[in-house]
Amino acid sequence: MNKLAAKYLRPSQIPTKACHGCGLGMIENWLLQAIDELGFKQENVIFGTGIGCVGRQTFATWGGDNFGATHGRALAVATGLKLAQPDKKYLIVVGDGDAASIGTSHLIHAARRNLGVTVICEDNMGYESTGGQFSPTTPANYVTNSSPYGMAEPGFDPCDVVKAAGATFVAETTATQWHQTVKIVKKALQNDGFSFVHVRFPCNENFGAYALGTRDTLKNLEWIYEHTQGRKPDGSETDFTWETGIKHDVSNSRPEFSKIMRDMNARVQADMAAKAAAAAGDDKTRDDGHGTH
Amino acid sequence: MATLTVSTRVGLVAPWVEWEKRCTDGRRLLEAGTYALTEGAIAAGCRVFAGYPITPATDIAEYMSKRLPQVGGYYVQSEDELAGMHACAGASLGGLKAMTATSGPGYTLMHDAYGWSITNEIPMVVVDAMRVGPISGITGAPGQGEFYIARYASHGGNFETIVLSPSSVQEAFWLTIDAFNLAERFRTPVTILTDQVISDMWEDLFIPADYDALDFVIPRKHNLMMPFYPVGSADLDVPPNLIGRGTGVCVSAYTHTEEGYDIEDMAAQWAQTYRLINKIRHHTDQLARYETLGLEDAEVVAVAYGANARTVKTGVLEARRRGVKAGFVRPITLWPFLDELYERDCRYVVCELNYDGQLVREVMRAAPDKKKVHFMGKSAELHTVAEVAAGLEGVARSNRVPELPYIWTEVR
Ligand SMILES: Cc1ncc(C[n+]2csc(CCOP(=O)(O)OP(=O)(O)O)c2C)c(N)n1
Ligand code: SF4
Ligand SMILES: [Mg+2]
Repeated sequence: MNKLAAKYLRPSQIPTKACHGCGLGMIENWLLQAIDELGFKQENVIFGTGIGCVGRQTFATWGGDNFGATHGRALAVATGLKLAQPDKKYLIVVGDGDAASIGTSHLIHAARRNLGVTVICEDNMGYESTGGQFSPTTPANYVTNSSPYGMAEPGFDPCDVVKAAGATFVAETTATQWHQTVKIVKKALQNDGFSFVHVRFPCNENFGAYALGTRDTLKNLEWIYEHTQGRKPDGSETDFTWETGIKHDVSNSRPEFSKIMRDMNARVQADMAAKAAAAAGDDKTRDDGHGTH
Repeated sequence: MATLTVSTRVGLVAPWVEWEKRCTDGRRLLEAGTYALTEGAIAAGCRVFAGYPITPATDIAEYMSKRLPQVGGYYVQSEDELAGMHACAGASLGGLKAMTATSGPGYTLMHDAYGWSITNEIPMVVVDAMRVGPISGITGAPGQGEFYIARYASHGGNFETIVLSPSSVQEAFWLTIDAFNLAERFRTPVTILTDQVISDMWEDLFIPADYDALDFVIPRKHNLMMPFYPVGSADLDVPPNLIGRGTGVCVSAYTHTEEGYDIEDMAAQWAQTYRLINKIRHHTDQLARYETLGLEDAEVVAVAYGANARTVKTGVLEARRRGVKAGFVRPITLWPFLDELYERDCRYVVCELNYDGQLVREVMRAAPDKKKVHFMGKSAELHTVAEVAAGLEGVARSNRVPELPYIWTEVR
């Protein structure tokens, strides 16, 4: 166990049951590095996740409080939890299926509300825990176990979606970009609002094997890296390119959801108090002796 | 299981019989059922409502949006009912009492959140104001089609549920407080299965003056220590878990250990199920709420709940006036099913607002002789007093429900 893992994770829960060479553990380590560099205390960070490899292989590893929602619902749970525990930091670590398919409505509305959580969407470009079917983030024409003739449906970019919905911090990175990812996650966690970090990582077992024809971790990482550069080692262009980095940063520019709620409550209660005081004053001046409230 | 000698009891058995005697300082209002459900929740300490508007539960959402900010609570208009109930679960895990309210089409979307909340022992209250269905059906008409769905509110089996049903605006108020209390004590979602008539109806309503003085309201307590899940135990009054205090609690969708860790193991599955079933089954004596009438000499007993029980009760009185030895049973606790209410070896006429027959099947199972259990199903409209009296007369005299328009009698 490395130092960060020893400091923040539960020894009884790691290593997880993730496949050998899976990118999940590595990314979690980077999240720990970001938390550590920011100096957040373990009891102040709540770790939420969903269902899938990303969910199951990260759930209960975090030494603090954890929740693993049903598939796609982590942000719905977090919406209520944030109201009750507004001062905590939230790391919501979910899959592309969780975030960009079954739970997209919650993603959009959490962004719209500027819910104060940091979503780490760990995207292995498919539903991997169910054996490697395509998802809305599977690149066009790639073969998965449910797109045997190539991914035919158009996909979408979850970063575009959350940005349009009102997210205040949006970034994209990959499992090949350690320092960039740590930097981005640190920024995301410093936004008192909705932060979305899209991290592509290789699933060797399914996406690697079926879409890329290899279970070799390095080859799969290399494929991701090439697509961030737009060039293969032989100098030819890749079939598409992912632009990584910070896509949208208006951190702390508009009020966080639970704060909006608290501010409204304060306003409502101040109005009530003012009205009650005015009514009490009226009663005195009228002096009718029998109030009617 | 505690056996109640119901046959000798007459009247109402519910905690609010006592509460009503003790609460005298308050206001008398003419208000709707939705108002009573809202105020009952506020009185019980509910501080989060998350839901999606739907007739006939919409007014609860509107009242909540007004009331919660006044008491420092939060109204969330969720993107759908699934999100609503999950947000309630999150709020409850964070330490706030929470409620959602819906009708059939929204209730159907909540099963995912029910499963998560039941398994993780998250207290909250869910109101389902039933309308006639299936699907959208007739939005402004009452139904009783969710009797079984409310029992089996999630897939997967291996759990019990608590479901209560009020039959007046006043009762809706007290019963909501009771539902919150039971949710805390049993660490589980409690469902209030009401209907369009009770929610939309305006009626005389007494509201206590000072909610803070209601000493029968069970406040939220927090479990800050292992075991987070007393698997293998049927203990009552285990405080709910709290996320946000750094206890290291784990809450998930998986079969869990007492720490909340996911585990794939027969012994763990058994222990979790023991907990989820027996914390309720071993304490059914704490859950019996019902009303009876005329059971001392009844030869035929009408059974009904919710709004429908009102005309049925009057029908029973009418039948007695006509010389029929009729009795009346109104289960308020629908689940766990109060088998002991049907101990009496006599004829039963079950009146419910659906044609397929739901409550009647449970009465058939619980009664000494299923052949003496008759069905009078109606849909979208309450039974009339005349229908009930005619049905009771027919069953008393010739052991059959006479043919009546829009009354369904067949149960298969
Ligand atoms: C409501 C529901 N539908 C389907 C499933 C089955 N299922 C479990 S994980 C999963 C896909 C997960 O995909 P993703 O979120 O991308 O996670 P990954 O396994 O790829 O890490 C599916 C379809 C489920 N658990 N719940
Ligand atoms: S199936 Fe893929 S994503 Fe899941 S643990 Fe294995 S390598 Fe990782
Ligand atoms: Mg995936």
